[in-house]
Amino acid sequence: MAFKTLDGNEAVASVAYRLSETIAIYPITPASVMGEHADDWAALGKPNLWGQVPGVVEMQSEAGAAGAMHGALQAGSLVTTFTASQGLLLMLPNLYKIAGELTPFCMHVAARSLATHALSIFCDHSDVMSARGTGFALLASGSVQEAQDLAAIGHAVTLESRVPVMHFFDGFRTSHEIAKIVALSDEELTALVPHEGIAAHRNRRMTPDRPVLRGTSQNPDAFFQSREAANPFYQALPEHLEAVMGRFAGITGRQYRLFDYVGHPQAERVVILMGSGAECAHETVDWLMDQGEKVGVLKVRLFRPFATDRFLQALPDTVKHLAVLDRTKEPGAQGEPLLLEISGALMDAYSRGDREVLPRVIGGRYGLSSREFTPAMVCAVFDQLKEASPKTRFTVGVRDDVTNLSLDVDSDLDIESPKTRRALFFGLGADGTVSSNKASIKILGEGTDLFAQGHFVYDSKKSGATTVSHLRFGPLPIRSSYQIRQAQFVAVHAPQFLERFDVLEHAAPGATVLLNVPWAPEQVWDQLSVEAQRVLVERKVHLFVIDAAEVAEKAGLERRINTVMQVCFFALADILPRDEAIAHIKESIRRTWGRRGPEVVRRNVEAVDSALANLHEVPVPGEVTATRSRPPRVPEDAPDFVQKVTRLLMDGQGDKLPVSAFPVDGTWPTGTSQYEKRSIAQEIPIWASDLCVQCNFCAMICPHTAITSKVFEPEVAKGAPETFEAVSESHTPELEGLDYRIQVAPEDCTGCGLCVEVCPAKDRTQPKRKAINMRPMEAHREAEASNLAFLRSLPDVPRDRIPRDFKSLPLLIPLFEYSGACAGCGETPYIRLLTQLLGDRLLIANATGCSSIYGGNLPTTPYTVNADGRGPTWNNSLFEDAAELGLGMRMGLNKLVGRARQLLEDMKGSLPPALYRDLTGPCASLDETAIAARREAVFRLREWLATQQGPEVQELNGLADELCPKSVWVIGGDGWAYDIGYGGLDHALASGQNLKLLVLDTEVYSNTGGQQSKATPMGAIAKFSAAGKETRKKDLGLLAMSYGHIYVAQIAMQSHSNHTTKALQEAESFDGPALIIAHSPCIAHGYDLVHSPAQQKRAVDSWAWPLYRFDPRRIDEGLPPLQLDSVRQKVPMKTYMQEEARFRMLELRDPQRYEQLAAAASDAAREQRELYMQLAGIHFEPHEPPEQKDKGADLHD
Amino acid sequence: MTDLTTRWLGLDLHSPLVVGASPLTDDLDALKACVDAGAGAVVMHSLFEEQLVAEQMAAHRFIDSRINTDAEARSFFPESEVFEMGSSIYLKRLAQLQGSLDVPVIASLNGISPGGWVQHARELEEAGASAIELNLYDLATEPSETAITLEQRQLKVVRSVVQQVSIPVSVKLSPFYSALPSFVAGVEATGARGLVLFNRFYQPDMDLDELALSREIVLSTSAELPLRLHAMAMLFNRTRLEMAASGGVHTGDDATKAILSGATVVQVVSAVLAEGPAAMARITGEMTHRLTGIGYASLAEARGALSLENVPDAGTWERLNYARLLQGWR
Repeated sequence: MAFKTLDGNEAVASVAYRLSETIAIYPITPASVMGEHADDWAALGKPNLWGQVPGVVEMQSEAGAAGAMHGALQAGSLVTTFTASQGLLLMLPNLYKIAGELTPFCMHVAARSLATHALSIFCDHSDVMSARGTGFALLASGSVQEAQDLAAIGHAVTLESRVPVMHFFDGFRTSHEIAKIVALSDEELTALVPHEGIAAHRNRRMTPDRPVLRGTSQNPDAFFQSREAANPFYQALPEHLEAVMGRFAGITGRQYRLFDYVGHPQAERVVILMGSGAECAHETVDWLMDQGEKVGVLKVRLFRPFATDRFLQALPDTVKHLAVLDRTKEPGAQGEPLLLEISGALMDAYSRGDREVLPRVIGGRYGLSSREFTPAMVCAVFDQLKEASPKTRFTVGVRDDVTNLSLDVDSDLDIESPKTRRALFFGLGADGTVSSNKASIKILGEGTDLFAQGHFVYDSKKSGATTVSHLRFGPLPIRSSYQIRQAQFVAVHAPQFLERFDVLEHAAPGATVLLNVPWAPEQVWDQLSVEAQRVLVERKVHLFVIDAAEVAEKAGLERRINTVMQVCFFALADILPRDEAIAHIKESIRRTWGRRGPEVVRRNVEAVDSALANLHEVPVPGEVTATRSRPPRVPEDAPDFVQKVTRLLMDGQGDKLPVSAFPVDGTWPTGTSQYEKRSIAQEIPIWASDLCVQCNFCAMICPHTAITSKVFEPEVAKGAPETFEAVSESHTPELEGLDYRIQVAPEDCTGCGLCVEVCPAKDRTQPKRKAINMRPMEAHREAEASNLAFLRSLPDVPRDRIPRDFKSLPLLIPLFEYSGACAGCGETPYIRLLTQLLGDRLLIANATGCSSIYGGNLPTTPYTVNADGRGPTWNNSLFEDAAELGLGMRMGLNKLVGRARQLLEDMKGSLPPALYRDLTGPCASLDETAIAARREAVFRLREWLATQQGPEVQELNGLADELCPKSVWVIGGDGWAYDIGYGGLDHALASGQNLKLLVLDTEVYSNTGGQQSKATPMGAIAKFSAAGKETRKKDLGLLAMSYGHIYVAQIAMQSHSNHTTKALQEAESFDGPALIIAHSPCIAHGYDLVHSPAQQKRAVDSWAWPLYRFDPRRIDEGLPPLQLDSVRQKVPMKTYMQEEARFRMLELRDPQRYEQLAAAASDAAREQRELYMQLAGIHFEPHEPPEQKDKGADLHD
Repeated sequence: MTDLTTRWLGLDLHSPLVVGASPLTDDLDALKACVDAGAGAVVMHSLFEEQLVAEQMAAHRFIDSRINTDAEARSFFPESEVFEMGSSIYLKRLAQLQGSLDVPVIASLNGISPGGWVQHARELEEAGASAIELNLYDLATEPSETAITLEQRQLKVVRSVVQQVSIPVSVKLSPFYSALPSFVAGVEATGARGLVLFNRFYQPDMDLDELALSREIVLSTSAELPLRLHAMAMLFNRTRLEMAASGGVHTGDDATKAILSGATVVQVVSAVLAEGPAAMARITGEMTHRLTGIGYASLAEARGALSLENVPDAGTWERLNYARLLQGWR
């Protein structure tokens, strides 16, 4: 038997890849990894079972992938795909077709929540349940082993039965869980797959040699019978599946059934469920039977077609009480799908006379969006079955104090075997904790007889992210599909966690706790808070410490402490002999890092060798001596909602909040990121006011709004903190008399250093000293935090006083701050600038992607409000429909504006004439004076309306704010704009509506991990173009220009902020659609983003990213609409390309191909430049201004 | 016509003109053209251990450290896109040049760690280098480190490499030794076979607008040659090490002067970079014309003819020449 330690995605992909010829995919969490594996293997030339390398194609969307799958199947190919959630929804129309045509096909779904009131990347079955009507067989697996095995069974049974199969397993819980499994060999797969089924499938292919017609349109006389004609295939499927499962058992010794029953043979109480929750139920049933209980669990493997006979056979006759658990919600349904299916089957049994007496059946929901499902919850369900009048519909895992559906759960219950060792690790995303834990599992899984399991939890921040690793090892099979609640080993890899979370919450009595701290061992105890000391004392914890950062630093590994901590874990966990463990670690280091050359290995080995000498035990005294408590997570003056809800979400205690704490419709307050002080920077920028030239470049480029500049009346700053420095504004005549200050937000800064990089002011006696300099955070944190609080409290100067040039714009209040974006993010500055220009009148339709995650992922969000409470209002609908969402917003808004004006007209006779005039005159979106006057007029209107009576008065009162101009902007990445949302983007632009589209172009799908899009440049390596992209980047701007009525600009803010501010303002002032394509440096480009201004300049200078503006208004003036803002190619294309790993990797691997593609990229730039030069020189005869278009209510009159 | 064949580090060369260490290593066509134009050997650009290390660490930092950091993005680059970032690319290039060029290919090595020097030297030998040119480069910035310590460390590196490889080793020096002949004697004692005089450093310039340093590669001029001529003239026949002139050879007369001051071979780089491979043909022609014109039958006859040992007014090579020149101008 070949044991392997791998995650569910890899286990499934390995089977699907080997059994397929064509693989069409599209990235979506948590299924992306399966497609990435397939792409990787194909790139490496790995053959499938028949010696061919499968064709792997990434499509523009899942809908596109489904179409390609359908086509490949029609051509007779063996096909697979991997998807989840919204991706599955996009595939649905084709799935009906594929099933309707009885096509052998097996796909794999890492089940994930569907977006409803909110998006969630986590697990439930709402996606697969939405596909239950497609005609696919639905096959569920509950562990990594099962996922691999049922993947193979799925591919085999579809070939035997012609019924297509959707195999699903739980996203993250199974897809990302690492477990030790018995891997399926090629021989086993060959023995399993019915080769006559393949031949039959191929024989049904479309070929002109034996032509047939499929996809007819049928009339009422034919359609119904045709649908019924397929019945025998669905009736036969259970038998086929049983046969395949039997064959599988013969080959592997692992027997699966359509319904697997586990428990007492005469069980009276049984729970029924599918997926990973069934493993937890299995573990709990075993434990309850040990306690003498007559209980059982029925694991559903085949959900559709539902095999009633097999179900009845599997269920013990003795059952009196059944609980059916669904991991999905169908609001308003009699019950969730599995419950209805089971209830229907029982009723059917009764109707057919197979059962005289039916058990009582209750049904509940559990585990939505990866909510924990624990043995305590399973016990709560069994307890409920004992009740004389149980809740027939319930939830478990939440506290429902609104509709009181939830069951009470004993949260202290721990049934895990003491033989299973449990370890918890709190790490930073960047410190390598998860990687080394994955390596540890492999070491233990593959180097010992132990079973091993790893589950990894990430927060939603892209900078300073926290990871929690849950590792289990032991001699018994591990079915615990839930997070560790009692750990014998807890490692805290970053000292700041001690201040931010209750990291010791899950330390078991007598546990070993390992801290990475910068303190000497004898100082450690006194540094700990009351809360930490109390746990250590009460639970008699063995405490160990190491200054891992110093060990890693000395070995030249910067902050990568993972191998140091890994050595300590093995030394303390006592699972393997120490020397053996260290040898394994070194071998694992060589395997993982050696592929790039010896240096990384050498440094890690050095760190490993010096780790143990720095590991110290700290004696835990008998009593708590600290007087200092862990600091409050949010300031005491934070709003009530933040105190009661957001604070708990930040603490990782959101699970404990009851239903009533939450908004009913997904509506959340903005402006909460200011309360989440994460303090993730080691060094922060400190202002040297004596050198500052007040250019505001630092505030312009900061990705996190963590450095801002502000002007204020000198007298308002009286009473400032002692360290609060300000200078007279001396560089902008309009601001004369005001004071000026640059302020860092010390606890929000990520320490990326971009501000210092762009600071042009230097001390001429010591040019390394600039007007801002990176200094240790701890030394400045307290002072700067109070300076920041004071500065934020100062009133803003009127907006119309600040000039609209690129140097002054950063002085406007930003309404986007402290996001969780990556350090050095190239997208966020554009959004911040947009909110500075328009934030108090801005509606945002945001495509799913990085910008929706750092823009709208709980617990806290960055869009915020000004002193008047105005700020951007934001919504994310889907990945694919942001442009349509924005278009709808614009049209809907126009109607409200129109109605407000209509009401105003109706009241014209009674309104004071001056007020009417002030409410109807010109008010352009960028005219701050006019807007301020309009707001004042609306205020007067409301005062007047208060003196009036009637329904129309109330109506106008409700709509009066719409008399001020509003702006609708659509924001999304290149995956949206160039690929999945292109149709909608094109349509919204073509519509002529006054709608602005901002494309944050990172040239890959950044959020899902760097898959190529049609924006990926030629020669770049990305996922799905592992050999370097061969085709040119789509010229999205040119396509939009071809319409002639769209404002189009291509901008690059990190290097050309003047141009950016000009383009954004022109776009906003243009009375029609605008498309702004923004160059966005991204970590997926593979270089230190502190150099992004210089690198972006190379992109512009090489014509990899030409700057231009296309303004249709110029046509009326007889000017060419296109203005080229970068004319010359100033540096060769290679000068730009050689600075980024995505190009450099190709050069290193295949220099010849790199040369070819670099030359082709250079040619492409030259051709584009020549074309653009001609367009920019085109001459139009001036013509009559076009007639005013009817746009409902026009805002820019 | 002067017979241009020569022996350098035990290798038979048809010409003393050699393409020195330069970016030309990456341009096979140009190198072939240089050989066709008469080059007797080719020196590859240095395998810079520091650069290899920096690139590996950059890949570690910007690619591999961004794995397993995020729930949605497992990584940001394809997994299959993994390749050696150590010396393998250099070694492949070396093997390719050795297979494509009809003249000896000499590898150049610039290490930073004792282990790195030795390990990479072995790799170069295994990959088929005809000889190794060690590029010693130590910038002394530490006040507590004496010249002796630094020189001893350098000699130790040379010795360890010489002991570990069986192919000949030459050593490329900087011009900044207080007592060059003594240090050269130390180099000779290590078992090295040749000297390359001298290294040209990429000395940064200043950008006075930005108050910053600027880095640009500046090609040599013939004005840099006399420093080399002087050193070789001084060392000729005072060391058994064979000498290569490097830096400032742009014309046939420059090359002739180098030979007359004691050079066995003459490395050319800047002229080829500026002018293309044609420069090699031009210099070869000019040098042959000059040597033949003087009447030398072979290079051996010409070598060192104007060295300190052989020149009639040896004092001109020595200290007083500066004063005399000034007098002459008066």
